[in-house]
Amino acid sequence: MAENTPAISLRGLTKSFGSVTAVSNLDLDIKSGEFFSMLGPSGSGKTTVLRMIAGFELATSGQVFLDGEDVSAKAPFDRNVNTVFQDYALFPHMTVLENVAYGLRVRGVGKAERNAQALEALETVRLGEFGGRKPSELSGGQRQRVALARAIIVKPKVLLLDEPLGALDLKLREQMQIELKELQRELAITFIFVTHDQEEALTLSDRIAVFNQGKIEQIGTPRELYEHPKTPFVAGFVGTTNIFEADEAKSLFGKSIKASIRPERVEIVKGKSSNTHMGRVIEAIYVGSATRVHIKLDAGPKITALVQSGSTVDESWHRDQEVQVALNEKDLVVLETK
Amino acid sequence: MSVNSVREVDSALAVRPTFAHRVSAKLYSNAKLRLRLLIAAPLFWLSLVYVAALLALFVTAFWTMDSFTGEVRVQWNIDNFVQLFTDALYRTVTLRTLGIALAVTFIDILIALPIAFFMAKVASRRMRGILVISILMPLWASYLVKAYAWRSVLSNDGILQWLLRPLGLDTPGYSLVGAALTLGYIWLPYVILPIFTGLEKVPQNILEASSDLGAKTWSTLRLIVFPMLLPAIAAGSIFAFSLTMGDYISINIVGGATQMLGNLVYTNVGTANNLPMAAAIAMIPVAIMFIYLTAIRKTGALDNL
Amino acid sequence: MISKTPLKLSALVVGLALALSGCASSGGASNAKLKALGSNEKTLSLLGWPGYAEDGSNDPKVDWVTPFEKSTGCQVTFKPYGTSDEALNLFKSGDYDVIAASGDATLRLIASGDVQPLNTDLIPNYKNVYPFLKGQAWNTVAGETYGVPHGYGANLLMYNTDVVKPAPTSWDVVFDKASAYKGKVTAYDSPIYIADAAVYLMAHKPELNITNPYALDADQLAAAVDLLKAQKANVGEYWSDYLKSIDSFSTGNSVVGTTWQVIKNSMPAGSHVEAVLPSEGATGWSDSWMVSSTTKSPNCAYAWLNYIDSPKANAAATEYFGEAPATADACQYGSAGFCDSYHAGDAAYAAKIWYWTTPVAKCLDGRTDVKCTDYSAWTKAWQEIKG
Repeated sequence: MAENTPAISLRGLTKSFGSVTAVSNLDLDIKSGEFFSMLGPSGSGKTTVLRMIAGFELATSGQVFLDGEDVSAKAPFDRNVNTVFQDYALFPHMTVLENVAYGLRVRGVGKAERNAQALEALETVRLGEFGGRKPSELSGGQRQRVALARAIIVKPKVLLLDEPLGALDLKLREQMQIELKELQRELAITFIFVTHDQEEALTLSDRIAVFNQGKIEQIGTPRELYEHPKTPFVAGFVGTTNIFEADEAKSLFGKSIKASIRPERVEIVKGKSSNTHMGRVIEAIYVGSATRVHIKLDAGPKITALVQSGSTVDESWHRDQEVQVALNEKDLVVLETK
Repeated sequence: MSVNSVREVDSALAVRPTFAHRVSAKLYSNAKLRLRLLIAAPLFWLSLVYVAALLALFVTAFWTMDSFTGEVRVQWNIDNFVQLFTDALYRTVTLRTLGIALAVTFIDILIALPIAFFMAKVASRRMRGILVISILMPLWASYLVKAYAWRSVLSNDGILQWLLRPLGLDTPGYSLVGAALTLGYIWLPYVILPIFTGLEKVPQNILEASSDLGAKTWSTLRLIVFPMLLPAIAAGSIFAFSLTMGDYISINIVGGATQMLGNLVYTNVGTANNLPMAAAIAMIPVAIMFIYLTAIRKTGALDNL
Repeated sequence: MISKTPLKLSALVVGLALALSGCASSGGASNAKLKALGSNEKTLSLLGWPGYAEDGSNDPKVDWVTPFEKSTGCQVTFKPYGTSDEALNLFKSGDYDVIAASGDATLRLIASGDVQPLNTDLIPNYKNVYPFLKGQAWNTVAGETYGVPHGYGANLLMYNTDVVKPAPTSWDVVFDKASAYKGKVTAYDSPIYIADAAVYLMAHKPELNITNPYALDADQLAAAVDLLKAQKANVGEYWSDYLKSIDSFSTGNSVVGTTWQVIKNSMPAGSHVEAVLPSEGATGWSDSWMVSSTTKSPNCAYAWLNYIDSPKANAAATEYFGEAPATADACQYGSAGFCDSYHAGDAAYAAKIWYWTTPVAKCLDGRTDVKCTDYSAWTKAWQEIKG
């Protein structure tokens, strides 16, 4: 097998449910060993794509290639990928150890052998002592780790994770994010991670595909997506941003283009200069590390600036306070218009 | 309206707790009392109709009957139970009844599993509706109609014979087998429905997870679906088993020259007019059911009814 | 729907009723005979064998109840029953004024005080009843008449003429030679059927010294039970519902067994069956109309008893059921040859019939050196025969 064969290749992948097209004509290559995220709002088709890779759904048309092999028509048990389900889908009547050993059991591995391996897998996720418990006796985070152990024990080429952290609280989420990343590095296998949480996707991923209405809007590294979003949807979905319609951009920059500028690149300055605009504060929201200042520019558009706490211009803004806002043209990202 | 009258209305609304008002307030704040009052009437019925009647049955079993006039005499003795344990007749019939009940239960589970699986996991929503209705439909027909229909099916020159003859087989006729088939048919809906409900409770992604981990269809059925379904199957079996244990009509119509515990009860109530003996015999299925339910309670099936 | 629940529940409810009432009543029997008739009440509730009181609802041409209602003003309701035991239970409910009971039930009704002695002077037609039906063990106790005869008949042997060859003349086709028709033999599902075996044993096992099939000592009963247990291996099914018997013979599930004339008469056209009175004789019935001791309609009851023995009604009722009438005058009515075919009034033929009688401990054949087996022993034996 060639070194550069993608772990997953999707070609012209389409899925319709009756008259509704969930995924339309999708092409995608995911490299071996990559931590790849599919990001999008609910209903954008990302989960459907994941399910077609796993084999739970068969594509209406198009192909799924696993390591160069067309698996489009194969059943889930004939595909060397494994899934960590959103609500874990642990088998409630089995103990944790039996859950983890299940993949080996159906492959005909003897009891002693599979239990030993399962215990090892449980230890990787730091649940070595919980093997005898039933899933119902575990906390959400623990169940999550059991689901991981159960999926990795059969050494899949690709691990599919369907919003695996969605049900956890914030602290646990952040901890699990770190663990997931470490696990992926350790196992050196491809992770495909489905999420609607852009921050999570930015934190974890090597590359991200942003889904919208059954199509991929943009694929790129977190930095590319954040710094250079190509479409208004990506600019708005990945992080927060100020988007200017063509006429607004013209009044500010003299160019009739659709563009965006990140709030942290919007500067509030003391003095007036060529690139500053006068405005009035609508509202200032203090979020700890920074303050989010909503400003109505005299030129028309509303804009949000993010001011770091402790910076020279930081102060307690009040409504209708006059401010000077500096906008640098180098920070402007030109967006595609349809 | 004057200011004065407004104030009057106000105060009338605010205070003056009538008796009904006080009762309502008391009930509102006391959920337990509310619940108790609510279930008092049905509970009273339940204890009268079920518990008291069962006790009366048990008590009657210790009486005796005047063999000529057929009058029950209140003479306390355990002769009836001595007979139950010493007479070969009762042992034979009990074992036969138990055998039929187990056979019916087994047949029903065997048939119900694939049907319920198809309904819950394969059929389209529309198809599922049609199937549920067609399974419930026979429940509207009289028991007797169904039993007599089977009499015709099992008959000499009946449909079953016509179907089986090309295979070199013959109808089981009016026999234990015939009775088991008939009872199996009659109680089938009671077995399908809990299993169907149980299957609906097995999340789709559990099945997907099993398949994802490499289990083929049969392994998934054996290792995941069946164990998870066990309580539902046990619940269905309670219906088939207990209803068969007490049956005495089908066996008369399609059972040929054989009899079950129900027939002995019937004979003792109807022919011999020996109510105490009938009561004693009726304790056998009660005891068997008690053991069965106790055994099955462990599977959690009782939560599934 | 009928399931185990109604049975159990009814047993429970009866048990409960008994428990609540503290004890069973011994029957508030009024032993006084009616002295004179008064004016008729409005209603009369009858309990009888199927076909004993037809009002045209089963067959518009068959109706002898409506004329009675018109002439007496007594509104009749009729409940048919399948076995004597069922009749007994129904009658004990107290819902019925009059019962047509066979000899295996009459003595039990008399003993329990559920029926009252009759003043036959108030029943003009009683004098026309065949003498050999009057004053018999099943309708008369201690000189008191408790029932007026309805008609009488024999339990016949029915066989499928295609299968059972040559035409049988003996009950041996259902006993010693029954294995030739294994699984296709049928028998009446009641303890009283033990008497049929006893009738057979009287002819074929004289060493048992059975002189009356309803007076069996323990050994004689055991012999009858053995015979019936051997028969059971060949029995396809027992019947107590005569419709079930008709069905079995018409489909060929049964080819030989005991029957009633009415079953033979009701077989669908084209059925290849015959019914005979075998050489050993047979059990049979002589049914009596009896009046409840707690009736609220005694005048209507007497009117019915008199009416049913009037020539026209007696002929209609007995011909429809397929039995001999209770009076000679009835032979003027009914279809041609009706009385001949049932040997009405033939005392010698009637003597071959062992009328159903309740077996009691005091032997009916007059023996005093042994105790005979009573009906409850027969019931128990019957359960064991069926296994």
